[in-house]
Amino acid sequence: MVEISSDVIRGYNDTMILYILRKAPSYGYEISKQIKQLSDGKYVIKETTLYSAFTRMEKNGYIESFTAAPEADGGGKRRTYYRITGNGQQYYKEKCEEWNLTKEVVEHFITAEE
Amino acid sequence: METIKNYLEAMFANLPRTPEVIKAKDELWQMMEDKYNELREEGRSENEAVGVVISEFGNLDELAETLGLEKAVEESHELMELEPRRQLTMDEVRDFLHAQMARGTMMGIGVMFCIACPIWVILLGDTILEGIGVLLLLVQVALAVGMFVFASNRHARWKYIYKEPCSIDYATADYVASEKERYNLGLKGQRTMGILLCALCWVPAMLFDTIGLAKLSVMDNIVAVLLLLMVGFGVFFIINSSIVRASFEKILKLNDEKTMSSQFVDAQKGLYENPRLNNLMSVYWPTVTCIYLSYSFLTFNWGSSWLIWPIAGIAHSVIKKNMGSVKQA
Repeated sequence: MVEISSDVIRGYNDTMILYILRKAPSYGYEISKQIKQLSDGKYVIKETTLYSAFTRMEKNGYIESFTAAPEADGGGKRRTYYRITGNGQQYYKEKCEEWNLTKEVVEHFITAEE
Repeated sequence: METIKNYLEAMFANLPRTPEVIKAKDELWQMMEDKYNELREEGRSENEAVGVVISEFGNLDELAETLGLEKAVEESHELMELEPRRQLTMDEVRDFLHAQMARGTMMGIGVMFCIACPIWVILLGDTILEGIGVLLLLVQVALAVGMFVFASNRHARWKYIYKEPCSIDYATADYVASEKERYNLGLKGQRTMGILLCALCWVPAMLFDTIGLAKLSVMDNIVAVLLLLMVGFGVFFIINSSIVRASFEKILKLNDEKTMSSQFVDAQKGLYENPRLNNLMSVYWPTVTCIYLSYSFLTFNWGSSWLIWPIAGIAHSVIKKNMGSVKQA
């Protein structure tokens, strides 16, 4: 079975995370679970990759972190949550455009022929 | 779950202890814990869940890059090669702790023998057995010295723990911390008992005095013997408990203070001590013993020379309290 090479996907981890955070603030495991689900289990993000992305994007001002306990399981453990910022929204849109262009370009060179 | 914790702690053990690294470790732990719990809820076996979590963890090099730790990670690799820390096994640590308990008992008994040695002379002093009293005194001191020598010879086996840089893994640190906790109450009890015995050693004298027995001269001797025995046992308890306690703390602070491995045990504050003072303190009790014996033998003032023990004990804890721990960076 073909697996995604981490070099290729690296540039788009941020995009995936921002896509999820656009809907609602979330925390580490929840985000990694959603990435797995939305990709039909074809991509599992590593914990270190995810945390690196958080740190980098927070430094660049695309996301903000805060500590909270989830309301769902009452008195649940406190976790670090992330929310998207205005800059993050902007960055997400740019990344989408970039991907569309990338896809378009690379598509020209992809064939199903043996 | 314990396996995951061990894995994470081992990964981080040699990284510098900075707020960024601590935060990274905490958050990675959160994610791993969440993932593990969910896998278990889905009905996966313990082993399976652990396997999945560890295989999906990723690698630290990637993290080092983002945390600006490439240099630190490289340095820690270099340091490991230049000055490799000796990794102590759990069995080794267990043997060390047991040996220290035996040493505490021996040193305690030795000092107690030294303190109580005059009782023979006091009891047999004015009788025809005076000679035997002196002999018993000398035998008892010889026994004490023998114990000191034996205990320090056996202790020499563990010299490397004090001289070489050593380290312990997370599981061992966890074990020692729980052992320390388990013995904590007993050690505190012994210490309190020891201090009480020393502090209250004059009570028999006072009691005998009040009930009017002091007129009999033989009572003076009995009071003196009781006093020496109380101080002797008191000091035994104090020495034994502090040697055992010190051995736990020695192991718990083996790991390099500047790396994450020093965080294996919570509440580490105050554990890392001023190394200079430690060198000084290692000769503290032998010096006191020396002073005590030379003063006592020179002046034969056994009646009051024992006072050096409670004073030395209090001075010891005052010095340790005030100068013992280095401020944490």
